[in-house]
Amino acid sequence: MTQAAQLPASWSVFDQRLKTFSRLMTTKAAIGQTPKELIWTLNKAKLYRYIPVVPAGGRHRVPLLLIFALMNRPTIMDLRPGHSFVEYLVSRGYDVYLLDWGVPGPEDKNLKFDDYALDYIPRAVRKIKALSGSQEFSLLGWCIGAILTTIYASLRPDDGLRNLLLLTAPLDFANREGLTFARWTDEKYFDVDKLLAAFGNMPGEMIDYGAKALKPVENYLTTYYRLWDNLDDPHAVESWHAMNTWVNDIFPMAGGAYRQLIVDLYRNNLLMKGELKIRGELVNLKQLRANLLTVIAEGDHLTPPCQSETIVSKVGSKDTEVYRVSGGHIGIMAGSGAHKQTWPFIDNWLRIRSQ
Amino acid sequence: MAAENNNDLPVDPFEPFRGMRDAYLEGMSKVMVNAVNSEEYAEATGAMLNGYLTLTAPFRDALDKAMIMALEQLSLPSRQQVTSLSERFTNFEMRLDDMDAKLDRLIELASQSRSPATEDLPAAKVTGDVTASKTIENQPAARATRDLPAAKAAANPSAAKATGSASYDKRAAGAEAKSSRHTGARKA
Repeated sequence: MTQAAQLPASWSVFDQRLKTFSRLMTTKAAIGQTPKELIWTLNKAKLYRYIPVVPAGGRHRVPLLLIFALMNRPTIMDLRPGHSFVEYLVSRGYDVYLLDWGVPGPEDKNLKFDDYALDYIPRAVRKIKALSGSQEFSLLGWCIGAILTTIYASLRPDDGLRNLLLLTAPLDFANREGLTFARWTDEKYFDVDKLLAAFGNMPGEMIDYGAKALKPVENYLTTYYRLWDNLDDPHAVESWHAMNTWVNDIFPMAGGAYRQLIVDLYRNNLLMKGELKIRGELVNLKQLRANLLTVIAEGDHLTPPCQSETIVSKVGSKDTEVYRVSGGHIGIMAGSGAHKQTWPFIDNWLRIRSQ
Repeated sequence: MAAENNNDLPVDPFEPFRGMRDAYLEGMSKVMVNAVNSEEYAEATGAMLNGYLTLTAPFRDALDKAMIMALEQLSLPSRQQVTSLSERFTNFEMRLDDMDAKLDRLIELASQSRSPATEDLPAAKVTGDVTASKTIENQPAARATRDLPAAKAAANPSAAKATGSASYDKRAAGAEAKSSRHTGARKA
């Protein structure tokens, strides 16, 4: 058959691909599907407990609380059935809880790290203790969730925290040359107070732009070309759809917390210097005594490894471990290789410390 | 054979351009990463944002004032008033949560002491019966058993299993009954 004779068939294939592409761009995938129950709420925050699938006798004794960043949905931890970190943990016998911060409204513009770390997390922890019957618990903080959990763990070391897992944790801001965000938000160029006076909260669109502009070609062009190239692969298509749904579900970050992130951390690196004050209390990392695992993504452009490496030498924990994995900020936990690399490592580390 | 198979594949009009495209994007990506990582880019975006905020500030203020006046004329609350109300609600929620914590503590203490009075109230314990619980509402340990699904599970783990709930050991079920008293665990 000549190529000319093939043209109608080719057009049909092309047309089908266009329809698939259009569907993926205009619809949302079902994400966050693992069964859970709501057990506590405060303001916009919600605490969920995932329904255990392992009988009580086979479950780990120490419950695990997951805490994600403030400016994206935590559904990234439960992306889609068959490829969900939460589903994996539940199937491995963990009693898993998730703290969803919710979407801040104008009334939440003054919420700060202080409120999240000293009001919300301790209350959620209390609920988990009451529900699980265990006085000990594990915490997993990812991205800004890792900042909050580190602050909480340092300020409340006697709350029963046994294990602390930090994923791609932006904690050390000393290496300003290596941080593009630090350059953008330098006080010479960026007036954070003026911005927050105008908007109250930091608009989600600006946060989204900031994250995508770090790698503009990849985020605005390559991702769509790659999708087009892989439209015949249903697995790749569904993965892309789920991830795109999560990425584009953007919302603002509470103004007070955003200001602290920029001024106290990006500009002054107060946490690592031991000068960060939360509600008047100095955050002393030496007080953090829980077993500590920090997971570093080697290819992370949002939180470069230099931001997560130094924490282990600053804390008072006797049991510390750094796990380096190739991949990006989100990819190490939600990418196609996560279930072979990162998840089993976390499970192995946590299992023996959750008995 | 391989050639025949290739002939069977539909023609991809973009195929000849794919290699060229990838090479171009790779080069472009490096250029752009360097560009956004420069002081000049930081300065330019900062100036743009600053200019935008300065220019729009008078309009925002005027709009805010006009909106407040319009809402006042319509006897509707302003955003500031709704915000203030919402802050008060959050404050209430916190106080309720504090009370919840204290109540849980009382229940824990009461269950530790295991007073005979509470053990004599099987109706409230087993069924979470409202009438029965009314008579014992000043007895915290009995309150703990009032919540329906979890309390039922605590009282009868096998029934909980049969209805699809997770099977509970006695301690976990007791704890669950306590803590879901106020929240009334809801399916998400």
